[in-house]
Amino acid sequence: MIILGIDTSAYVNAVGITDGETVLADRRYEARADALEQIVANIDNTLKDAGLKLADVGGIGVGLGPGSWTGIRVGVTVGKMLAFAAGLPVAGVPTLAALAYAARSEALPVVAVIPAGTGDTVYAARYDFENGLPVRQGDYYVGSVKELTGVLPGATALVGENAPAYAETIGAAGIKAIEATPGGAAVAHLSGERLARDESDDALALTPLYLKESTAKAFVNKYAARVKGTE
Amino acid sequence: MLVLGIETSCDETAAALVADGKEILSSVIATQLDLLRKYGGVVPEVAARRHTELIGYVVQEALDRTGKTLDDVEAVAVTAWQGLVGCLLVGVAAAKSLSYARNLPLVGVHHIEGHIYANRLSHPDIPFPHVCLTVSGGHTILLYVGEGEGGGYELLGTTLDDAAGEAFDKIAKFLGLGFPGGPVIDRLAKQGDRKAFSFPRPMLRANNYDFSFSGLKTAVINMFKGPVARGEALPLADIAASFQEAVVDVLVGKTLRAAVERGVDAVSVTGGVSANSRLRAAFTEAGQRRGFRVFFPDLSLCTDNAAMIAAAGYAKIERGEQAGLSLDVLPSAPLPGRAGG
Repeated sequence: MIILGIDTSAYVNAVGITDGETVLADRRYEARADALEQIVANIDNTLKDAGLKLADVGGIGVGLGPGSWTGIRVGVTVGKMLAFAAGLPVAGVPTLAALAYAARSEALPVVAVIPAGTGDTVYAARYDFENGLPVRQGDYYVGSVKELTGVLPGATALVGENAPAYAETIGAAGIKAIEATPGGAAVAHLSGERLARDESDDALALTPLYLKESTAKAFVNKYAARVKGTE
Repeated sequence: MLVLGIETSCDETAAALVADGKEILSSVIATQLDLLRKYGGVVPEVAARRHTELIGYVVQEALDRTGKTLDDVEAVAVTAWQGLVGCLLVGVAAAKSLSYARNLPLVGVHHIEGHIYANRLSHPDIPFPHVCLTVSGGHTILLYVGEGEGGGYELLGTTLDDAAGEAFDKIAKFLGLGFPGGPVIDRLAKQGDRKAFSFPRPMLRANNYDFSFSGLKTAVINMFKGPVARGEALPLADIAASFQEAVVDVLVGKTLRAAVERGVDAVSVTGGVSANSRLRAAFTEAGQRRGFRVFFPDLSLCTDNAAMIAAAGYAKIERGEQAGLSLDVLPSAPLPGRAGG
């Protein structure tokens, strides 16, 4: 089955196509703040790269994030509405898993890491591989790069667009930095595996994986907790 | 031509099916009132997240209510300009995907142009040119609407600070009346005396078509902040009626002056505040006295909706306008020009 995978969570956006075995097309392009402007035209161009039409596609894969909040809203909305309009099954995959998949041939434990907006905050997760597929170990991490050492399992393959800089900041021994951005073909592959197991998502219910509350919600919750605390 | 309209520019997730720009087959609006009440207003990130959750369901519901399917839809129109950028982009991402997957013509619509078409949906015989006042929680815009279809718009004036609807919300909040403020003040004012308090009519006599409501809001707050702080009972109905009358006087006065100076005999009022019963009565009465025809949309089309976007989009498609796959959003954009000069 032909799977179209998209991920718009980072500055570099990605569209890829697999047939379950091989990568038929894998396009990355610098989108920065223009994820919305570029995504649909790039889906069309990637299909053309593979000599295909949307009608040839049997399933849609979407990188759910974490990453740019605006970016993942674009990707998830496009993924769900394409699936809805074309009558295709859709499967979301965490962008951290797609990123970890790029380091699947490493002998070391893999930690995928994605910048979380401003400052030195990152989203991260540790993955082991079972039958070639990433399986998350423990919870998602949202916090500073420096404190990431607390969750690193010693010698680690650290994978992400800023991995070399993060490895330097962490400064611990045994960290191998692998510079990579989330790939469309990786998303297509992991989504395809889910669809093959009949684990499709309800397209209309598909929601981004933010991992962080909006500032307003965080503020209200903090305030509510404080009020509760004084009761 | 059956057009699917999509609108997500602020806090309403909306989709509608409109035939030939005239007949509304369905108009679905998912409001975020629960979030607005919780946060006391629109928080862009919170609203954008909710749009992403709702957009697919709202489109599905717009189809289900008519018994139509996507096979029957012939074009997609979406609000692309004027609004909260993070909110607009959810609607545009959805519209582009539908257009691409179904090979349907796509057209981007300016949110304010949508409000103008809300009046044309309710009154197909509305004459051109005319003067149009759009008043809502986000906008207070006075426009000269040019001759005929596609005649363009000329911006006459806008608010320099708060939108009219925003002033209603802030006063309601100050008086402890909840959110949104428009409907509750309208209701309360019916039992009040419009002349009980004399509030300023900002910029009513200014030699331009701009508006300002911040000073009026401050005047009301200054007059009653002492009693509020002391927990005294306030003459709420009289305050609501007097405040509302000040806003209405300015809106009616400046709009009719623009109509006189531009030599038109028709005025349209659109946007959420155009549902206000006192604004409608005052405009209608002044119009009758001074020889203007005044048009208001049906109440269901005053606040943000997608039927008006579908109607405006249909007119653009009829004129041969169409957007490509690279359609992008703009939080603030001029309306198409050409009218009047």
